[in-house]
Amino acid sequence: MTADPILIFENVIKRYGSLTALDGVSLTLGRGEVVCLIGPSGSGKSTLLRCANALEPLDGGRIVFNGNDVKSTESPVRLVRQRMGMVFQNFELFPHLTVLRNVTIGPTTVLKLSSEAAEERSQKLLAKVGLSDKATAHPSALSGGQQQRVAIARALAMEPALMLFDEPTSALDPETIGEVLSVMKTLADEGMTMLVVTHEMDFARRVANRVAVFDKGRVIEEGTPQQIFTAARVTRTREFLSHLGWHGESAGCHQ
Amino acid sequence: MSFDWNIVWSSLPRLLDGAWMTIWLACVTMLLAIPGGLVLALLRLSKIRPLAMAATGFVEFFRATPLILQIYWVYYVLPAYFDVQLSQITTAIVGLVCNISAFNSETFRSGIVSIRQGQWNAAYALGMTPANVFLRIIAPQALMRVLPALASTWVSLFKDTSLVSIIAVAELSYVSLQIRAETYRILEVLTAMAALYWLMGYPQAKLVDWIHHRFKVAE
Repeated sequence: MTADPILIFENVIKRYGSLTALDGVSLTLGRGEVVCLIGPSGSGKSTLLRCANALEPLDGGRIVFNGNDVKSTESPVRLVRQRMGMVFQNFELFPHLTVLRNVTIGPTTVLKLSSEAAEERSQKLLAKVGLSDKATAHPSALSGGQQQRVAIARALAMEPALMLFDEPTSALDPETIGEVLSVMKTLADEGMTMLVVTHEMDFARRVANRVAVFDKGRVIEEGTPQQIFTAARVTRTREFLSHLGWHGESAGCHQ
Repeated sequence: MSFDWNIVWSSLPRLLDGAWMTIWLACVTMLLAIPGGLVLALLRLSKIRPLAMAATGFVEFFRATPLILQIYWVYYVLPAYFDVQLSQITTAIVGLVCNISAFNSETFRSGIVSIRQGQWNAAYALGMTPANVFLRIIAPQALMRVLPALASTWVSLFKDTSLVSIIAVAELSYVSLQIRAETYRILEVLTAMAALYWLMGYPQAKLVDWIHHRFKVAE
């Protein structure tokens, strides 16, 4: 049992027509924990993330965040989303706004912060992700890695209790993946609670507290990175990892 | 053949009044048809079926029938059968606004659906209200994309205002044809009318070209 849980998935079911994307997923995320979701494409990892902040309605089960049902009627889903930062595979920065405005728009429109306070907060966050000099640029003038770092700053500007990362490096050029992962590593080191869908096994191995392996809409195995990457119990997990070039203990040593 | 261009100069104040009415009609129509089109577009995209269907019916009717027929309808049929009598100007505005709103609605709708789902998700994920998501994130991007189409509609509208001359609204076409009837100087009057339309329309067409160039979607 996870101590001090912040996010609990209970037997979550999600269907798209005849396709069952999530087939009874249960997973608990403790405060300050970093949990990586790995598994083949289409296995339901990203769907679970979108369900977490109600971007997708559930077909069964429930999700509890900070002790409240995400879908409860008394707390509008907006309030849940404010406390969960989300980072998308395709960045999804707002192209008509400057970098700075992308980061301030959440605090000013949702948290009703004054524009001075929001700008101060945003400048600090842009400095944190190493992009102070890009504040007045538009997203289209930035590289993929820079856009994703702005997206992280945008999510952090809401001072979330939890960060959801949906394959944050999958759309990036290999040379810019590192800069995004290092920002994420810094966040993890600072104690941010993170749920990360990723194909970066090295990141999962070094940064995650726990790793959950998805296959066909189910969590087939869950454990510490050590356990999953060096002593997976489930055959399907070992198959998946070997497809990616991981071969038990030896691979871990060489990374 | 002899020309009498003095007719044009002596009629110029009336022609300019007509030109002014043309500009006024086009501006008022567009000012009303932009919100009108936006509302129709949102209704068509609404998940409430009867609303979506009503808006679709409205749009498809006004897009698929001639503007001249719509103006006649409002002017002659409404008073005869529904006991609604509008002044000429009001009739002109109602006809034009319904017609242009229908076109604008399709323009806006295509702009809105062209914004990918990820942008909605990113805005919702920040905790924004649906109204804020639409007004601050989706609508500004959609508007940039449809500005060229909107500008083209404007240029068409500017010329189509001439159709309301059939119900004696004193815009440029009506005034010109009146002067022609009074003076029998058909070539001079129609040339002056063409010159005035061209002088007003050409800069707009150039502006539209510039807008097409400036706001073409780069993604």
